[in-house]
Amino acid sequence: MPELPELNPVIHGKLRLALLSLLIGVEEAEFTWLRSKTGATDGNLGAQLLKLEEAGYVSVEKKFVQRKPQTLYRMTDAGRHAFIEYVQALKQMLGGAIGS
Amino acid sequence: MTANAEEQELKDRLSLIESMIAEGRRTTGTWAWTFVFWGLAYYVAIAWTAYNQWPNAWLVTMTGAWLLCWAIIRRQQKNQTERKPGTTIGRAILSIWIAMGVSLSLLLPALGFSGRFNQHVFVAVVAAMMGFANGASGMIIRWKAQTATAIVWWAATVAACFGSDDQCTAVFLVAIFLCQIVFGIYGMVCEARMRKQRGATHA
Repeated sequence: MPELPELNPVIHGKLRLALLSLLIGVEEAEFTWLRSKTGATDGNLGAQLLKLEEAGYVSVEKKFVQRKPQTLYRMTDAGRHAFIEYVQALKQMLGGAIGS
Repeated sequence: MTANAEEQELKDRLSLIESMIAEGRRTTGTWAWTFVFWGLAYYVAIAWTAYNQWPNAWLVTMTGAWLLCWAIIRRQQKNQTERKPGTTIGRAILSIWIAMGVSLSLLLPALGFSGRFNQHVFVAVVAAMMGFANGASGMIIRWKAQTATAIVWWAATVAACFGSDDQCTAVFLVAIFLCQIVFGIYGMVCEARMRKQRGATHA
């Protein structure tokens, strides 16, 4: 029986997984947009985004637009790669679970 | 944790990924009104030209329409509580329409000022460009209705090269009605349906 892969713990967190799933479909996203899509609190969202940033899965850009602060998040190539690997592993595990 | 609970959790993760990816893609703005807007602008220009034969009626109407369209889009963006993120597909489609707009804005006045302009060339060029932009957009987003409008524009391109001036005008008026007004209203109905279907998704 083939060995089942392990799931990446950085991505596996529910909110972090939701964030990466949102970011993979867009070029860049504002903090406020991510907050409204996930329904997370500012503190929790900021903490999870920081973990993703520390892992090198997202990059952050802070700027001012019309004198208002704007924080933009982008998925990095490493993040895209890790996310795809995670989905493949998840599907493989589910395939194994269904088959067993 | 039991094997069943673990399996359920993994399934939940997979459905979370699917729903969030779908949510991220659902960020395209509302653009169908621009088809109706530009269709009406074409009709105003045609009516103005037919009324007093002023050669700059098209130039003035199109410039006014550009400014008004830009002002409406800016106002829409200003009223949004949050900036919708751009997607690669959205940028590709917007690029096609901007490039087409710039091409027409340069070519048509240049033809007019050089004296090489005639009604058949005008309708054929506009219809070909509209066919190109609608065709490319429809193929990118795999929307058959938009690809169908491209086919109507391409048919108008060919038809504009033949027949009398009146027939050429009739072809243009029908193409505008079908591809701008009817398609635009259909698009607005689709957008309204999508907005209605969309519920809040929370992780």
